[in-house]
Amino acid sequence: MKDKLKQMDDYEWVIERSARPDMNADGKVIGNKTIIDAMEDDAIKQLTNVTMMPGVVSPVLALPDAHVGYGLPMGAVAAFDKEEGVISSGLCGFDINCGINTIKTNLKADEVKEKIKDLIPALFDAVPCGVGSKGKLRLDPSKLDGVLVDGVRWAVENGYGIKDDLEHLEENGCMEGADPSKISDLARKRGKSQLGTLGAGNHFLEIQTVSDVYDEDTAKRWDVEKDNVLIMLHCGSRGFGHQVASDYLKIQEGAVKKYNIKLPDRQLACAPANSEEGQDYFKAMKCAVNYSFTNRIVMTQWIRETFEKIFKKDWESMGMHTLYGLCHNVVKLEKHKINGEKRELFIHRKGATRSFPGDIALIAGSMGTSSYVLEGTEKAMEITFGSTCHGAGRAMSRHAAIDKFRGEKIKSELAGKGIIAKATSPKVLAEEAPNAYKDVDEVIESVHNAGISKKILRMNPLGVLKG
Amino acid sequence: MKYKFKDTITSDVMFEAYGKDPKELFENAAEALFSVICKIDKISTKKTEKLEMKSENLEDLMIHWLQGLIAAAEIEELFFSKFNIIEIDDTHVIAEVSGESITPEKGETVVKAITYHEFKLEKIKKGYIVNISLDI
Repeated sequence: MKDKLKQMDDYEWVIERSARPDMNADGKVIGNKTIIDAMEDDAIKQLTNVTMMPGVVSPVLALPDAHVGYGLPMGAVAAFDKEEGVISSGLCGFDINCGINTIKTNLKADEVKEKIKDLIPALFDAVPCGVGSKGKLRLDPSKLDGVLVDGVRWAVENGYGIKDDLEHLEENGCMEGADPSKISDLARKRGKSQLGTLGAGNHFLEIQTVSDVYDEDTAKRWDVEKDNVLIMLHCGSRGFGHQVASDYLKIQEGAVKKYNIKLPDRQLACAPANSEEGQDYFKAMKCAVNYSFTNRIVMTQWIRETFEKIFKKDWESMGMHTLYGLCHNVVKLEKHKINGEKRELFIHRKGATRSFPGDIALIAGSMGTSSYVLEGTEKAMEITFGSTCHGAGRAMSRHAAIDKFRGEKIKSELAGKGIIAKATSPKVLAEEAPNAYKDVDEVIESVHNAGISKKILRMNPLGVLKG
Repeated sequence: MKYKFKDTITSDVMFEAYGKDPKELFENAAEALFSVICKIDKISTKKTEKLEMKSENLEDLMIHWLQGLIAAAEIEELFFSKFNIIEIDDTHVIAEVSGESITPEKGETVVKAITYHEFKLEKIKKGYIVNISLDI
């Protein structure tokens, strides 16, 4: 499939709809030549599979961090017409609103380095992580609806986070229109004990220091400067969101048969946007989005409290405000200009970040490598439905990484670079080894030069906590 | 061989499980799943849960079975290590699954869900084979 990619310029590659029978749209890949050379052929094939879905609006996009996923590449964006298109639980995936929050501090790297050996274990105690981790917040089942409908507004009313946090979150921490009546009992049961938990796999909490400021004015506007310490939190909607997605994947599988939708892959299950199966999923998905926003803000508050204990200062005086919080896996109804005409589209971002002009895009590198903060652009509105990359993107499977790397060795190599890593299982450190990922710098170079987001900050890790 | 992990999915985990009949196939697939979730060799069988699941056909029943085990483990806060299928036909499974309470040191990683990616359940000469991809 890759041989059918046509280079449009240094960073845009197109696979035309004539490349395979049944394609309803073009595919587009953003990346420099190094990225394209390394991209798996199967990722491009998966991209073309998505172009075969009904009502798809050209192009279906793979971002430079894209790699083979289930159904579609991880690192993709697909837009569907509001009337003729579909809403797809398969495209959004199982970890609904897996995303990142970044907390600012006015602490300097040296101050934090002095305490990092105390700070990381203290955070490990404060933020439940790993498989089967239970939240310290045992939610009364009758309160769950408040989380699902109001998201971070519920959190703030219940003492987690402050109003200022709301203003620095995508959707202000709550997608309106969430309907708890669309949630199964099983999802509720899984949701009640996991609010305020990190999870495992690629989810993490990282202490970072700003190593480079590329745009002083923007950084100043965000109240961030070189050598400041930031905290990056990556996690999702936990068992609640996984169950919502599983429930609706099954429902939408039924819809595929009912509405006679032809799909090249069963994992791309979807339903017409205006059907009951499409709309019910959208309302249920919003519940999971709000659960996830709340999950991250609950942990944000525990992180603040942990810093208070270690640094013996209150969190406000350490300037621990939310820089931004965003979604990676989500479906949104957005307005985009198509051939000069404004249209409402269901935008599916899977492992992708919204990059509207002025948006803050938080990009996680692999464990032990740099992360970045970018700013959204007009160009993203023109060529990627207002989207940019979400991370480095895996270059090696988890299984291959476990075979190749040893967790303890990774830990000591990171320690050699001054990075303290702590995980519930050494196997997770092997799975997440830096060399199992693409070079994040190439990914960032691609999105910056393609113009879909602009480099503002680069951060290096000081300490990382993995589930 | 009960199961084998494959290297073809970059983001996640894929395995093949085998069985001479559906009973063995379902037991082995469950064991493969929990070998990803926890240190299965170190999990005792102190607690037993009885599970019953229904679906439209054997393929869907397999997805439902594994998905149901993930949910049951989370809700009951257990790591499972032994899977005994008591009754199974194309649309219905009854099983006793045993394990112990979750402790972080015996955990490996969270499996978010069972996906349909390259999912295939086939009858072969020697019995049955299933290909499963997990979202990690």
